[in-house]
Amino acid sequence: MSDVPKGVSAQAAAIPAPLIRRSRAEDDRNLVREAQEGSESAFEELIRRHQQRVFGLVGGILRRHEDVEDVAQQVFLKAFVSLKRFDQRSAFSTWLYKISVNECWDYLRKKKVRPLVYESDLSEEQVSRLDGIVSQDRPPAGPSERAEARELVERMLEKLPEQDRQLLLLKEVEGFSVEELAAILELNVNTVKVRLFRARGRIMEHYRKRVSGHDSMEFPGGGGKEGHV
Amino acid sequence: MSAEVRSGACSEYEAIIEDYLSGQLPGAELKKLEGHLPRCPGCSAALERASLATRWLRLAEPSPEPGPAFARITMARIRQEVAASEQSKGFWQPFVALAWRFAATVTVVLALMVSFELAQHHRASPTTTAVAAERVNDMHYMFTADTEQVPANRDQVLLMVAENDHGNR
Repeated sequence: MSDVPKGVSAQAAAIPAPLIRRSRAEDDRNLVREAQEGSESAFEELIRRHQQRVFGLVGGILRRHEDVEDVAQQVFLKAFVSLKRFDQRSAFSTWLYKISVNECWDYLRKKKVRPLVYESDLSEEQVSRLDGIVSQDRPPAGPSERAEARELVERMLEKLPEQDRQLLLLKEVEGFSVEELAAILELNVNTVKVRLFRARGRIMEHYRKRVSGHDSMEFPGGGGKEGHV
Repeated sequence: MSAEVRSGACSEYEAIIEDYLSGQLPGAELKKLEGHLPRCPGCSAALERASLATRWLRLAEPSPEPGPAFARITMARIRQEVAASEQSKGFWQPFVALAWRFAATVTVVLALMVSFELAQHHRASPTTTAVAAERVNDMHYMFTADTEQVPANRDQVLLMVAENDHGNR
């Protein structure tokens, strides 16, 4: 998922991912050069090429879908203003994603809000239904079940430390690769992997606590009692 | 089994299991993990938890897709913002230039005043040796000036003679 961005055609997906990446990076370099020389159409093309990933990144951090477009626009504005100073030592995408992360933090700081906070709670019945979805590894049956599932996942994610939550969302939901996350967040690749792995464990720990609060210590989808982690 | 961390898995297997979950584990490491899992309940349980979490995460809602006109709208906003910034820069430019000139002049004047003041202060406060020499001269004058004073006229000569006479008596 991470190698080929959403929306790439089946034919393009058949081309080896490293080749696609290299060619995209080369195209980006040329477009950046043209944009630095004053071509607005080149910059517009850069927006087109990266808008989806920027939306994913911003949405993964903010989790406030109504604000994503505004912040994404701000990201591209900042990129346009500082493009002359961009020396192309790193990939344009990495540079742009770093701007996105900073812009999200600025936005959250200015608004003085946590990314997403749920007030109400799901019923026991809803939780056990969702448990069934995950244990059978089937997609939610309808829009209401999907909405419930999403809400429960968001609540579980909310219990995680900020960076763990972002890492999981960006990796599993928005399709960023471990290498991309390491570059964006300026972390070691191995650190990202370990954090992701631990965050997965932690999210299930919160879930188990929640389930054990409702009924038993039955582990969701695990089909048995779970020992102490 | 080596020391366990909070995930419940062996620390050296955490990144490997993460790669395994992403389907990016190279052959040699895959064999190593497959050999390790049956012998390590901690890693097996952690793997099970992590794969369940991954399934849960698939239910999360991805971010909205940008609309078809996003790039065009963004570019229009950029043009607008850049133009507005240029315009505001253009309006304030003469005032800013004037302010800079004024600030530069004030700085130069202040620097001149300070250096003049320092020079004056330096001149007004000579060194200790000079002060001492001046004091010696003053004292010498005090004790010698009257005795070696040359009378200017006849009256002064008579007065001096009379004073000497009076002193001798």
